[in-house]
Amino acid sequence: MSEKLSSGYRINTLLGKEAVIEKWLGEGGQGDVYAVQYGGERKALKWYKPCGMGKNPQAFYENVKDNVMRGSPSPEFLWPQDVTEWKDGVFGYIMDLRPDGYYEVSDFMLTNVRFTSYKTIIDAALHIVSAYRILHNIGYSYQDLNDGNFFINPKNGKVLICDNDNVAPDGRKTGIIGKPRYMAPEIVMGLRDPYNLSDRFSMSIILFILFCLTHPLEGKRSLVPAMSPELQEKLYGSEALFIMDPEDRSNAPDPKIHRNMRAVWPCLPAYMQEIFLKAFGQDAMKNPNARPAELEWVNALVRFRSEIEQCQCGNEIFTEDGAPCVCECCRRKLSIPFRLRFQEYAIPGTPGSRIYRCQVGSCKLDEVLKPVGLVVSKKDDPSLIGIRNMTDKSWNAETPSGKSKRVMPGEVIPMKAGITFTIHDETIKIESN
Amino acid sequence: MPKIDELEATARRALHIFYVLDTSGSMTGTPVATLNRAMEETVEVLRKQAKSNADAELKIAVLEFNTGARWIQPNGPENMEDFIWEDLSAGGLTDVGAALSELDSKLSRKAFLNSMTGAYLPIIIFMSDGYATDNYQKALDEIRQNKWFARSTKIGFALGENPDMKMISEVVGNSEAVVRTQDLDLFARLIKFASVTASMMCSTSRTSNQDVTGADILKEAIDQGSAPESIVENVPVDVPESSADEKDSASDGWDADDWE
Ligand SMILES: Nc1ncnc2c1ncn2[C@@H]1O[C@H](COP(=O)(O)OP(=O)(O)OP(=O)(O)O)[C@@H](O)[C@H]1O
Ligand SMILES: [Zn+2]
Repeated sequence: MSEKLSSGYRINTLLGKEAVIEKWLGEGGQGDVYAVQYGGERKALKWYKPCGMGKNPQAFYENVKDNVMRGSPSPEFLWPQDVTEWKDGVFGYIMDLRPDGYYEVSDFMLTNVRFTSYKTIIDAALHIVSAYRILHNIGYSYQDLNDGNFFINPKNGKVLICDNDNVAPDGRKTGIIGKPRYMAPEIVMGLRDPYNLSDRFSMSIILFILFCLTHPLEGKRSLVPAMSPELQEKLYGSEALFIMDPEDRSNAPDPKIHRNMRAVWPCLPAYMQEIFLKAFGQDAMKNPNARPAELEWVNALVRFRSEIEQCQCGNEIFTEDGAPCVCECCRRKLSIPFRLRFQEYAIPGTPGSRIYRCQVGSCKLDEVLKPVGLVVSKKDDPSLIGIRNMTDKSWNAETPSGKSKRVMPGEVIPMKAGITFTIHDETIKIESN
Repeated sequence: MPKIDELEATARRALHIFYVLDTSGSMTGTPVATLNRAMEETVEVLRKQAKSNADAELKIAVLEFNTGARWIQPNGPENMEDFIWEDLSAGGLTDVGAALSELDSKLSRKAFLNSMTGAYLPIIIFMSDGYATDNYQKALDEIRQNKWFARSTKIGFALGENPDMKMISEVVGNSEAVVRTQDLDLFARLIKFASVTASMMCSTSRTSNQDVTGADILKEAIDQGSAPESIVENVPVDVPESSADEKDSASDGWDADDWE
């Protein structure tokens, strides 16, 4: 809304290049975003409003500059790549343009756009969680985590994280404490500045919203005629209460207004309900250390993903313990002849099922979501299925009669009950249903 | 799993924006024409924003005053997404008192503030270019007892050669939230910037736990509009601590019977 930079306007950058304004793309609370020509490429320029740089614009600038120098921690981040010189008390930074097909979380909340499947929601959630895991692991925190930070592709769950200007080494103040309704209780109460554990809380809010299209702290209690700042402090701070809190129902869903909760919550697997109950339990509200760590999220989400099967009618069915079940939509019986038993749970062994790297022992951060095994069917006889070794190392397999076999990369273990095989630290057993 | 297509949009609290606009005889000609164009543009921007605002459901109501006061939306605030600006015309007296009484009567849960999904504190934008022709003091005393008025975010615009800065500052409650200008183009830009900033109040990341006030919003609008800071004058006004106000901060947030 402020006076815009006009097309053709040139700005020099720190790395000795030049950004030439092409056109205005959009605006947020902190500034405008333009498409620019930059070193022969089209890029995005975030250009701050005078009031968009926090309390100390110089420190804010230094932080963005540090982030440019440091480089992006993970491809999910639309990371600052260069910063501009100052002009009339403001500056900007260069980042990649968001590709087509990505939408903001608010568009999902308002159902302007919808995910194509629950698997896609899980993928989006996994991308978000693993990106923050990487960020937190290098000692950074995001500090202003809210629904405006994400661009998500509803078709494949890919995620781009924007607004990385507030990202800072944990403990460094950026002058921004966060967006109302997305801040952790201790930040709302002014007890401390944002840090990695408050990021965790805000991230859980986003994950809950992606699945339930409901804000986790906004049940009956939030339907107040006038949200005064004091009330806001209570509902999101000192008296924050999960909409599904099993003990205190005073913030339970309103049957007319929070109908999504009744539709989604009972369908979530117990371990997903549990991780949300943990993330928004009274313990986690008051003690940031009690919040689920990113790895716990990854494990729950990966399990959830493995346990969803698609019925012929298109409905997604949540299976339990890899067992056959009946589609709640068309009443067809879903045939699941085999299941793959891990130490803690079993998943259906049907064509397309994947075993992820994080399901077979601890691993490097960027490998968490790498499929290591894939259930495939035979080209000339689709009724014959097996598990392909997608890694570059051989596996050890053992037949029911006790014979040992080596499974080379690319090779397939036939799906037969009783066979066990070991990938990294996990031994998986094929069972028939 | 439930069908993703059958889920409903996330519930949003309402954010009411009230425009209280002087259309007395002195606004005749260019002033009212500029006001109409400014409001048309403001509404256009707000409408676009409302469509993707997941933080608040924007609602708008316009109260014009001249000889008496009249709501343009007599049935209550309209959804910004469906709202279309209708041009106002100028003529008549400057019945500020009538406007305040009318506003007071509708700032209530039983009248205009009845959103099922709850609401944020309202925003009130007040504009005048002259001196009240009725006795507004009694109406002002009364509306100051209205919790919603007392706690709303208020912004004032004083136009023309001879606006009553004291009256406007009293209505707004703080002269730092009042802009005085004779430059109609500047007014048009500032009312747009202020409206947009105010409507994004719930969506903007904060630098501190302090509340955003009308003066903060205006300061931002002035920055954006590259207007001189001198258009905000310091007019000492005497705003009695509203009893409604004290009761609220002491008691359980809002008043108890509003809870269910
Ligand atoms: N890399 C990008 N490519 C294309 N469009 C972008 C890019 N980054 C942001 N935008 C668009 O620009 C607009 C403003 O961006 P953004 O929301 O990041 O601003 P902001 O000032 O940080 O907002 P806030 O802090 O209030 O969330 C949005 O409409 C967004 O879709
Ligand atoms: Zn079916």
